[in-house]
Amino acid sequence: MSYILEVRDLYTQFSTLDGVVRAVDGVSFDVARGETLGIVGESGCGKSVTAMSILRLIPPETGRIASGSIKFEGEELTTLSEEEMKRLRGHRISMIFQEPMTSLNPVLTVGTQIAENVVRHLGVSWKVGRERAFEMLDLVRIADARRRLDEYPHQLSGGMRQRVMIAMALSCDPQVLIADEPTTALDVTIQAQILDLMIELKEKTGTAIVLITHDLGVVAETTERVVVMYAGRKVEQAPVEALFDEPLHPYTRGLMRAIPRLDVEADAAGTRPRLQEIPGLVPILTQPIVGCAFAPRCEFATDRCRSVSPPLVDAGAGHLVACWEIDRVRRAA
Amino acid sequence: MAVLADDLAVPPGRRFSLWTAVRRNPTIALGTVLLSLLIVMAVFAPFIATSDPFKITPVNRLRPPSERWWFGTDQFGRDVFSRTVYGARVSLIVGLSVAAFSSVLGLALGLACGYFRKVDSIVMRIMDGLMAIPSILLAIALITLSRPGLGIVIVAIVIPEVPRIVRVVRAVVLSIRSQPYIESAIAGGTKNWKLLTRHILPNTLAPLIVQSTYVCASAMLIEASLSFLGAGVPPEVPSWGNIIAQGRTFFQIAPWTIMIPGAFLAVTVLAVNLLGDGLRDRLDPRLARRL
Amino acid sequence: MTAYIVRRLFATLPVMAVVALFVFFLLRFAPGDPAAIIAGEDATVESIAAVRAKLGLDRPMVEQFFVWTTQLAQGDMGVSIFSNLPVTRLISQRLEPTAALTLSTLFVAVALAVPIGVVAAWKARKWVDRLVMGFAVLGFAMPVFVLAYILIYFFAVQWQLLPVQGYQPIKDGFWPFFESLILPSVALGITYMALIARITRASMLEVLAQDYIRTANSKGLATDRVLLLHALKNAAVPIVTVIGIGIALLISGVVITETVFNIPGLGRLTVDAVLKRDYPVVQGLILVFAGAKVLVNLIIDISYAFLDPRIRY
Repeated sequence: MSYILEVRDLYTQFSTLDGVVRAVDGVSFDVARGETLGIVGESGCGKSVTAMSILRLIPPETGRIASGSIKFEGEELTTLSEEEMKRLRGHRISMIFQEPMTSLNPVLTVGTQIAENVVRHLGVSWKVGRERAFEMLDLVRIADARRRLDEYPHQLSGGMRQRVMIAMALSCDPQVLIADEPTTALDVTIQAQILDLMIELKEKTGTAIVLITHDLGVVAETTERVVVMYAGRKVEQAPVEALFDEPLHPYTRGLMRAIPRLDVEADAAGTRPRLQEIPGLVPILTQPIVGCAFAPRCEFATDRCRSVSPPLVDAGAGHLVACWEIDRVRRAA
Repeated sequence: MAVLADDLAVPPGRRFSLWTAVRRNPTIALGTVLLSLLIVMAVFAPFIATSDPFKITPVNRLRPPSERWWFGTDQFGRDVFSRTVYGARVSLIVGLSVAAFSSVLGLALGLACGYFRKVDSIVMRIMDGLMAIPSILLAIALITLSRPGLGIVIVAIVIPEVPRIVRVVRAVVLSIRSQPYIESAIAGGTKNWKLLTRHILPNTLAPLIVQSTYVCASAMLIEASLSFLGAGVPPEVPSWGNIIAQGRTFFQIAPWTIMIPGAFLAVTVLAVNLLGDGLRDRLDPRLARRL
Repeated sequence: MTAYIVRRLFATLPVMAVVALFVFFLLRFAPGDPAAIIAGEDATVESIAAVRAKLGLDRPMVEQFFVWTTQLAQGDMGVSIFSNLPVTRLISQRLEPTAALTLSTLFVAVALAVPIGVVAAWKARKWVDRLVMGFAVLGFAMPVFVLAYILIYFFAVQWQLLPVQGYQPIKDGFWPFFESLILPSVALGITYMALIARITRASMLEVLAQDYIRTANSKGLATDRVLLLHALKNAAVPIVTVIGIGIALLISGVVITETVFNIPGLGRLTVDAVLKRDYPVVQGLILVFAGAKVLVNLIIDISYAFLDPRIRY
């Protein structure tokens, strides 16, 4: 299996007035050609920072990739010059962001914003670029695409803007598309449309997608394999069905349990049981974490958990977990 | 590096430390220090000045700076140092009184405009018109029609500065007035007067203070300019503008008559501007992040 | 778009009307007797009456207003009390030097200050930025005439590179014309430049923190395209606004600069008129300067529509 993206032991840190924040604390994963990988975790777990690190978009005044390797098609990205990275961005690795409302430049037309990408990377004329922009708008199912080319972002709805972002990102046929919470800011119905569109396009173009989200529903619908992150570390990784069938990490279990369920019976008084939350708070990332990052909130935690960080263990069939107490977790209901 | 809000807050339990206050607000500190020195100089002018600023001694004309005359003498033999020290009085009096009067007037008008729509449409039109006339010209027009004097200079400068303050106050009032809690207070029958004084007025104070420091700096510059042109304070009164104007004739051989008062003027305006900038950064953190 | 332009055009009318009314009422309602003040301290009763007649103050108010507005509509701004020349003629005679000075200062200031501000924002918090900000703070506090004399002292008196004062009309040759304008433009323009550079930097900083710049960077676009097209175009509205506001600074400064450098323009005319209390001339100058300012602001307003598409719709 050839991996198009290989991340190994990535450490990304930020200097703040309160100290060094270890946003990504030793994360490794691979993305296969044409696969859809989901990275899931709550806000602040480091998933967006991981994505930005791959494209080296971390602002140098505050953060840096402290160590680690990121290989794209075998080429090491961390040592490339800024000019070389610029050639890669938008061309062979693209990214779309969470806020379609603010991610498009309000004073440039939609057509310009797509065409400039093509002109820049493929070296074609503006005429050709514009044609390609039109094709892309068509591809993402925007009606009346010809007219839309000369319109401004504020004239489009949220869902349409996200489609434009996708069109922009795919305009140069990238091998990898990193989507950072692409549907979080959209209505649920639009969400479904956008996700369907992304899957359809992926099948057409063979682009690998790294889908970052905190929404397990999105993960279940769209991804093939999943990486679960917590406090800057990878705690579990599995094919999507396996993850939902039998989540092995206590954190993943907690996440699944916290999903509100419609099929739970109300009791005699008409009250439904409380939503199950994960007790405690996310750790402060300025302090180095000793032992397992999740230990303070984990019902299975032992002294070993609190003092030694658990390594990733293969629990069978591509299911990796970073936990000392897998057997106990398995036995628990 | 962005300053986090935490850094500006004093941890509980620590008493006010002057050193930390200075470190956190260098611009306010510098502005205040400079301004205080100047105020001291102005207030204690009779004690600081080494000679009588009005005394004409033709035999000592146009001497360069020396032991006896720290800043040299002008063409009438007057001590430039003493005149400069006294000149601080005029600038400070004008600056502070213009700032005070225009603030009071501007506050009243701004509150009225922001709160009462009818007042707003009339008064703002007038303000727009006034703002279309460059301040110096407006002041000049007023002065042309009046007898010379310090009072008229102050009035003539207040009038073009008032619209600036009205604008700022009005903007604050408008933004607060549209808040839901004000609407509900009005619906609940709260009297206008109470709303204005209790809820709206306190919010206008911070921007008002910041704007009035800028008005003070602007007023000092305008007064100096007017005096320089001969349209300001009467020439006998030592105002920095006057001193510079009188230094024009012999400027090429006695540049100190212009440079020294000029430097004082620049430093004073700088001090007030720094104070204004520092206050703005402190009182309006939104803007601080930008700049 | 045209509707927007027409609307802005009509919005200037009430402003000019207020200016005109203000100028009218000022003379008539100033405290004390304006005729006496204008006639001077040692004026006789007859001379005061003569001044009053000249200014038309002895007529009923309604008649004064009517006469005045019709005159104004025909472009007649009255007659100078002292020289008996029509105000319009005096103004048009002195227009060229002032226009040359103001325009050259405007272009140079904008052409230098905007790039400086952009660079300062791009290299925020590094030494370039601190240098620019320092210059901006100092430049803004420096009074025009002080700076003018400093420049004259070094460049004209000591090093003798440029003329001490005076103005050469362009018809006498381009180079002398240019030379005579350098020092005045710099003196006049520094404060203006400081303001523009500062606002450019602030506006650019705010824009560079926006999501769409992150998107532009994620597309691997060239730095100058991101800075100049993606960022600056968005930052333009506040910058252009402050260029307009700064025109007031320029106009006030022109009066002083022309006095210092002895340039025979409208600024000098203003000073002469004030000292002689020639109110009709002052009145005419106010109308002209205010009109210029309003015109500039109109142009700025219209430019918004070109810079920010959201304003058109």
